[in-house]
Amino acid sequence: MSARYGMAIDLDRCTGCGACMVACAAENNAPPLPQATPRTGLTSMLVRQVSNGMEGAARREVFIPIMCMHCEHETPCVSVCPQQAVEVDKATGIVMQMPQRCLGCRYCMTACPYHARYFNWWDPAWPAGMEKSLNPGVAARMRGVVEKCNMCHARLHSARAKAAAAGKREIDPADYIPACVEACPTEAIRFGNLADENDPVSRDAHSPDAFRMLARLDTEPKLYYKSKEAWVRELAESKSGRGPEVKHG
Amino acid sequence: MASTAMADSRWIARGAERTPLPQFLLWLAPWAVILALGIYAAGLCLYYGLNQTNLDNRFAFGLWIFLDLGIIALGAGAFFTGFLVYILKRTELQPILNSAVVLGFICYSGAVAVLMVDVGQPLRAWFTFWHPNAHSMLTEVTFCISCYLLVLSLEYVPILLRNRQLRKLPSFLVFEHQLHKLVPVLAGVGTLLSFFHQGSLGGLYGVLRGRPFAFREGFLIWPSTFFLFILSAIASGPSFLILVTAAVEKVTGRRLVPQELFQRLGFISGVLLAIYVAAKSIDTLIWLNVTSPSVGFAPWQYYNYKPFGLPILFLEIVVFGLLPAFLLTYRRSAKRRGLLLSAAALACAGILLNRFVLTVQTLALPTLAFDDFLHYTPSWQEVASFGGVIGYGVIVYSLSYRYLPLFAQSKGENTHVSGS
Amino acid sequence: MFPGVDGFHWSFGHILFLSLFFAVALTILTTVVSAVWRTIRDFHANRAIEMCWKSDFAELPETERRCRHELAGRVISRTCDNAFDCRQCSKYSQFAVLPARGVVRDLGLDYSEDRFYHRGHTWVKPEEDGTFTIGPDELAEHLIGSPDSIEMPELGSEIEVNGTAWRMKKNGNEIRVRAPIEGTVVGIGGPKEGWYLKMRPRLNPNDPATLRHLLRGAEVHGWLSRELERLQLQLRAPNTAPSLADGGVLLPGLMDAVPEADWGTVLADTFLET
Repeated sequence: MSARYGMAIDLDRCTGCGACMVACAAENNAPPLPQATPRTGLTSMLVRQVSNGMEGAARREVFIPIMCMHCEHETPCVSVCPQQAVEVDKATGIVMQMPQRCLGCRYCMTACPYHARYFNWWDPAWPAGMEKSLNPGVAARMRGVVEKCNMCHARLHSARAKAAAAGKREIDPADYIPACVEACPTEAIRFGNLADENDPVSRDAHSPDAFRMLARLDTEPKLYYKSKEAWVRELAESKSGRGPEVKHG
Repeated sequence: MASTAMADSRWIARGAERTPLPQFLLWLAPWAVILALGIYAAGLCLYYGLNQTNLDNRFAFGLWIFLDLGIIALGAGAFFTGFLVYILKRTELQPILNSAVVLGFICYSGAVAVLMVDVGQPLRAWFTFWHPNAHSMLTEVTFCISCYLLVLSLEYVPILLRNRQLRKLPSFLVFEHQLHKLVPVLAGVGTLLSFFHQGSLGGLYGVLRGRPFAFREGFLIWPSTFFLFILSAIASGPSFLILVTAAVEKVTGRRLVPQELFQRLGFISGVLLAIYVAAKSIDTLIWLNVTSPSVGFAPWQYYNYKPFGLPILFLEIVVFGLLPAFLLTYRRSAKRRGLLLSAAALACAGILLNRFVLTVQTLALPTLAFDDFLHYTPSWQEVASFGGVIGYGVIVYSLSYRYLPLFAQSKGENTHVSGS
Repeated sequence: MFPGVDGFHWSFGHILFLSLFFAVALTILTTVVSAVWRTIRDFHANRAIEMCWKSDFAELPETERRCRHELAGRVISRTCDNAFDCRQCSKYSQFAVLPARGVVRDLGLDYSEDRFYHRGHTWVKPEEDGTFTIGPDELAEHLIGSPDSIEMPELGSEIEVNGTAWRMKKNGNEIRVRAPIEGTVVGIGGPKEGWYLKMRPRLNPNDPATLRHLLRGAEVHGWLSRELERLQLQLRAPNTAPSLADGGVLLPGLMDAVPEADWGTVLADTFLET
């Protein structure tokens, strides 16, 4: 049975600690890149800091983790890649990026409305000794290719291998948990199968407080955000009708 | 100056007047320096990586893509003139055909060279041919531009083989003769390929549903930008030919083509430009009122940021569109060389502005509600690389003009323009 | 993806895209292969020289492409549009019947009635044994004087009309003399023999049409007058006007007598080179 893996992120719980970003970088062997700027880094998981634009007692801020939304409908990056280096995995709904086929044309980066794709502007390099902390299950990417969140696909492989070794057809959901989900101290990020209606993430997705970013673009992202704050839910759509001031991290 | 007195006079067509070799080399020298600088800058990017540029994750496309699209649009004069001469039999444009082919070759080869530096892994360029994505406009662009560069090279070969020394080899001359007979076929193929890739370059932007500033509805799978890019390319191509030919006439100091030819090209350019302006106006209205609001982006959002306000739209459609269209088609203004050239320059500027807006403004504008309008300035490596293309182009064109029959001139009928 | 590559499956988009792409690629390939094949075929059919000549002819200045009938005074003005190939010219007979109006005067050059002249300044003399002897005309000899070296073709080799008959070198200039008629070389001569080549013509030597493309009689005078005028202009000292309105008489050995002239252009115009 094919799954539709997605996430539900409770923005009221996110403290902005950044553990998810560190876990993602560690899991995916992201190079430290001390020379990178905010716009040239490799942050497949990126936590944005957004305010409601007011000052003093009325000021509110929220932390929004942004990563690949694994869009389901006319996935913008899939249709534009000239050499099919991206595809939607039918079995899992994960949008898979193949760095070894990527030409580095960056068309997918212009296509993504969520800016969730990152380019390797430098050759990856780790300071001496850091190579001991690398994850052997994930290949490092070379310079000149695009990368993004792939839902810790290596962990899915491990879960499948484990299930196959035990003679089972389906993986045990407890075996496949992406790094960011595992690291989040407040369980703000939760991971599940949207195709399974009993899955808590699936139920979260249907809650009245749930929203998706830029849903009107009709890309059907599989990342659902949740907040009881109305001003946060309004961040879902573009600035149309709203004031211009926002802060971001 | 009698050409036989020069060191390279053996290579220059008999009866053709050319500047003495030392003076010619002096002309080439600064362009060679610019080319060398460009090669160095490109070398830095290939060696150290694209961190040498000011491109980043938000401005994935920048100066290079904008200028690539620009020179491909301006180089459309090559295929369009070939189409007019060989398919529509407008033989009055024949005198400019060779020059147009060389110019097209320069534009496309330059664009491909820059693209090879622009991508992160140039050695993987063949992947597009082995794993093509039929849904992607960029696949279509890659195939068509590669094939078309091949066609342009094949059209350049007969011109090359008519060099005074090369033609002395009988095999070259006979091959040139046979290839020349088949040039109409190549012109037809070139027209088909150009139609598709000029359009697909527009389609590149029009299909971006994630960027409502660029996204357009259209006909079947083709967004309206597909057709607008074709129209703007064939409108600006002849204008660019006019500008280049006028520049060559100024530098060499002689009339190279009948002056009516300029007016004829200008008229064609003007008519197509007028059609383009009409189509673009309709498209802009639909986009602002229907397409964009339907995905939650109000039109005023795009023009809130200085200096990319509404004046840019006005500039593109009226000052660089309607105005030159009028000047080029209205006979009394088209007759005056100064106005004709200015109008041609405005038309080309309009097309360049259009490509700039779709590349840079698209990426600068925020999509997520908490994003800002971003800024981008190209690094010197980016500017120098592109300068290298211009240096390359001037050198190739100058060499072609000196040693090859670019402009059909009856021997002994060269008129020297005073002041040269 | 292409058929055979992992993960490929046919769809309408693939059929359309691949058929268009391969149609275009095939067209381009066919064009190049066709041009190459036709080139090889032309060489095998010995048509290469003819095509080179036609191409070179188109590059000649207009003043060098005057029709023989204009030179003979039969028409006021006509540019040849057939590469001097009067044997294949549809208009030849139409003009040939008109009366020739030329001034026959002594040009100081020896021209005999039994010879036929090629525009590249060679003469053809039919011999009784059915062969043709060929040599440079007196204008050419006066220009060159004694050549530094002569390169003759081999006995038995085939020569095409307007191709290379023989080559000469003089004062660093290379001169290629065009053949006036096509045939096989059966004898090689030189300046001492009074003829340079003896050829067995490919066409019937007794058929008058065989030599129709060569000048004879009154045409030669008209042609030579023009050639002498041209030489006067080309060999005069710079910044002087043409003098001696009656043309004067050609000195022998002009290349040695006037070494500072633009011999590249003079020889190219005389021997019909580009």
